[in-house]
Amino acid sequence: MNDPEGADGDGQDDEAVRDLLQRSLRKRLYSPNLLAGIQHRIRQRSRGKFFANGWSVRQGGIGHVWIGLATLLLVAIAYCVLGPIDLR
Amino acid sequence: MPFADDAEARLVERLVQRDERAFNTLVRAHEARVFGLLLRMIGSRAEAEDLAQEVFVQVFKAIGTFRGESKLSTWIYRIAVNLSKNRGKYLRVRHAGQEDDFAAMDERVNLGHAKQQAAVGSVARPDDMAAGKQLERIVQHAILQLEPTFRECLVLRDIEDLSYEEIEAITGLPEGTVKSRIHRARGQLRELVERELGERIA
Repeated sequence: MNDPEGADGDGQDDEAVRDLLQRSLRKRLYSPNLLAGIQHRIRQRSRGKFFANGWSVRQGGIGHVWIGLATLLLVAIAYCVLGPIDLR
Repeated sequence: MPFADDAEARLVERLVQRDERAFNTLVRAHEARVFGLLLRMIGSRAEAEDLAQEVFVQVFKAIGTFRGESKLSTWIYRIAVNLSKNRGKYLRVRHAGQEDDFAAMDERVNLGHAKQQAAVGSVARPDDMAAGKQLERIVQHAILQLEPTFRECLVLRDIEDLSYEEIEAITGLPEGTVKSRIHRARGQLRELVERELGERIA
């Protein structure tokens, strides 16, 4: 289609329609949380190779170092509670 | 890169390095507006949600080609508009004759209330809220009846409140064509809404 250029888009009628649109539609829409779905698609299509960290599915949560330290701490506590086993 | 905003330049740098937290930040910052734009363009929540996810996947795939010649949000909108055009064509062929989500909304509300809303405005009481919904349905349904090329310019200007320069960057159209399409779209929309309401929009 060939559009006639230079039409003035700010006449009185145009303002009335713009006002109607803003009143009826420019409210905050309920937006779904898209992040999980996007992450899933990216990982699926890249076979987990897209992000720099390779395979992580976390969203800024606990790091692997902390998980390792917590595991070591649990083992140490268990050792202290149960006590060294006397094999003699 | 000719970025206008340092923070945006840093974010893009992190995105190019495929930093997952940067991707999450980007999605959270733009998901609501991208979803809203697509919902107004397509009229179906399920389709808009699916397409919004696809928009961000495309953004992440193509981020290396972003040169900072426009705002990042403008570039994302451009991808959203292009994908919505393609999806719109597909849906028109596949679902011809089916109702959009807005047309399927409750229609038991008195049309007289919607007329008052069209003339006056503010929504407060339950009656008024129902009338506001009815008016939204009428206007949204009218938007979906517009020619797609007119609809995109109208939605970007009057609902998303973007500048003419931003709309030019998103659609790739010259200023005169953008203004002309918005003007025509408003004229078509006015006719459709007035036909539905049975009176002139004041």
